[in-house]
Amino acid sequence: MAQIEIRDLGIDYRKPKSNEVFSAVDNVALSVEKGEFVTIVGSSGCGKSTLLMAVAGLVSLTRGSIQIDGKQISGPGPDRAVVFQEASLLPWRSVRGNVKFGLEMQRWNGGDLNERAMQMIRLVGLGRFSDYHPHQLSGGMRQRVNIARALAVDPQVLLMDEPFGALDAQTREIMGTELLRIWERDKKTALFVTHDIDEAIFLADKIVVMGRNPGHIKEVIKVDLPRPRNEAILDSEDFHELRKRLRAHLAEDMSSMQLVQEVA
Amino acid sequence: MRSAEMTAEPAEARQLSFSFLRPSRSAAIGTVAVIAFLVLWQIAPGMGWVNGRFTSRPTEVFLAAIDVFKNDNFLFHARISLTEFFAGFILAIVVSIPLGVLLGTSKIARYLIDPPLMALYIAPTLVLLPIMVIWLGIDMAPKIAVVFLGAVFPIVLNTMAGMSEADPRFLRMARSFGASKFDIFTRVLVPGSLPALLTGLRLAVGRAVLGVIVGELFVSQAGIGYQLNLYGSAMRIDRLLVYALIVSAFGYTLTVLVRSVENKVRDWRSK
Amino acid sequence: MIAELFYRRQALVLGTLSMIGIVVFWQIAVDTGFINPFFISTPSQVAAEFITQFEDGSVATNVAATLYCFAWSLGLATVVGIILGMLAGWFADVESALEPFIWFKYSAPTVAFYPLFVAWLGYGTPTIIAIAFLFALTPIYANTLSGIKNTDRDLARAARSFGARPLDIFLRVALPGSVPVMIAGLRLGVGRALTGVVVAELFGANAGLGYAITYYGQLMQTTKMMVSIVIVIVLGVVLTQILSFLETKTDSWRVDSSR
Repeated sequence: MAQIEIRDLGIDYRKPKSNEVFSAVDNVALSVEKGEFVTIVGSSGCGKSTLLMAVAGLVSLTRGSIQIDGKQISGPGPDRAVVFQEASLLPWRSVRGNVKFGLEMQRWNGGDLNERAMQMIRLVGLGRFSDYHPHQLSGGMRQRVNIARALAVDPQVLLMDEPFGALDAQTREIMGTELLRIWERDKKTALFVTHDIDEAIFLADKIVVMGRNPGHIKEVIKVDLPRPRNEAILDSEDFHELRKRLRAHLAEDMSSMQLVQEVA
Repeated sequence: MRSAEMTAEPAEARQLSFSFLRPSRSAAIGTVAVIAFLVLWQIAPGMGWVNGRFTSRPTEVFLAAIDVFKNDNFLFHARISLTEFFAGFILAIVVSIPLGVLLGTSKIARYLIDPPLMALYIAPTLVLLPIMVIWLGIDMAPKIAVVFLGAVFPIVLNTMAGMSEADPRFLRMARSFGASKFDIFTRVLVPGSLPALLTGLRLAVGRAVLGVIVGELFVSQAGIGYQLNLYGSAMRIDRLLVYALIVSAFGYTLTVLVRSVENKVRDWRSK
Repeated sequence: MIAELFYRRQALVLGTLSMIGIVVFWQIAVDTGFINPFFISTPSQVAAEFITQFEDGSVATNVAATLYCFAWSLGLATVVGIILGMLAGWFADVESALEPFIWFKYSAPTVAFYPLFVAWLGYGTPTIIAIAFLFALTPIYANTLSGIKNTDRDLARAARSFGARPLDIFLRVALPGSVPVMIAGLRLGVGRALTGVVVAELFGANAGLGYAITYYGQLMQTTKMMVSIVIVIVLGVVLTQILSFLETKTDSWRVDSSR
């Protein structure tokens, strides 16, 4: 059985002023095996972040179900950890204090908190900076702390919502490689939302392409490129093929968006 | 690990500033301005520009200061005023911080309490001084009361604001780790409201000092304000100024203290 | 429909409710003997006394006297504060020269110098206006300074690239840009001017709300005192609200992205 089973998922929102109901996602079904790195890609408004938040347990479902290891989810839990786009590091805590945060919230009893935190901090390459405060760190460094904090609680599933979206292009590339290096260690099941095509292909074992109006899955594409991945892969033929397919999907959405705007 | 270190450059290493040069100019100009003022003040009575009886001079004030510290029972009066100040201020802190923290978390409570609190914050609470005298007599109590009233409102209002303006992304992050409401309250909301609380404290200091002095000017049998009144009526401007400067120094020191803590805390927030 | 009205104006409704609640609580507390009416009177008595004082003209006299000093002190503070603030905001040297004095004024409670003013100007209106003027000056100056000083650099640079001279930049970029902040400073100044006037009146005046409070205070007539106290509070709120309204009108000019 797959580790993550999503069936008939539908999430509706009620617009506050007009009382209209609109579907963020509808009729979504997905299976994710243990240890798979899955990227979710699509243009804005396709519901990819909503889907991720639903798996995280931070958004309630209108229809359907999400099961992890056979159990229905009902809110956040220690089996999942989220890496948000904004690092949301508590400014009054040091790097170490921040990495300990999740452990404290979950009353971690798997050993000394400080040691566990330092382990994670070293894993993400910030061993020297454990006593620094967030305002002293660059954007890339803060995201590393963000990742360390999520990994520290040893989740079954790692959920990442455009974690590198706010970084500049070069840092983003470096962080992608870094993330894979860190991931290779435990190969946790991962769901990674992005709007960057190259990033989606580079990181993934499987790509979920989503479309809008309402948010739904257009296609699920397997990526057979060998691991561990390196920058050379970006120039391979297979990579180009995948890139073409994804661009075609996104172009569809672009034109339908323009149509809507002109009519409006 | 090279790529790791490439993105691992702390933000502060990037700043190269020559700001150590700039403050000197502004400090120099400031000092010159003060010296010019003192010089003018010193020679003005002699030149006939102003009546020396009303303005005194720096040298006279200086001598009076020495006199005050040696002969005037200064410590006695200072102790009375300080007692009134700290009693009222600490009482205000003890009441307003818990109140602000609790009220800040409930939207309904905020809507209910905000209007009367704001009205009282804007209104000069010193206006209640005469009534306080009727209630509490003419000893230290009414002064402690006006200090309390002056300090309470800015602290409560600012603490409430700090609690309610918590960054929702922090709350979402905490929830994603399954944090309980209590944990979110103690570990995220309360620490997050510290800067606002400090601002409230800083505002409260000024009002509290005002409360002591006005209270003592109004009715007292001892204290710094009492001395101010005494020397004012007796036209001993030099001594009057000494006491006024003492009050300024006190207010200044406290404000600087709170500001420095505020700045340290604000550093955390800078991105 | 009523529910919708409640939802939209939640703040207003709850605020009014709480004010009414306080008055009701006040009346009940005194009626049941919880509080001795000597100390704080009752809403009904205060209301009755207010009508009496209103009819015999003393309300009008006192309010007029207070507002007279208030208007003068606020006016002077606005003129001086804005001029000094603009100069200091535009010329760094002016700011440096004024800074020690402003710091001193900020940390020294103006009232400490009250006996000095009395010695110079005697009891009465000039002293009251002087004290209130100094009270209100600080926020007006500080905000004007901040507004001009923190003019959006990008805007100024863009103007310069079109060949604007310093005076142009000051008039067309710095000045309009700092209006919201200046009005916020005015709002603070209003509260402080009223405070300064009323507090000064507590000590030496022969008319005005502060004077009335002290006068009746000496006669231990709490009800009459409460009338003036309530008027002061209401005045403070009304005047500040007027400026808050002005503030929101100019809020659309706000450029800084930190909002």
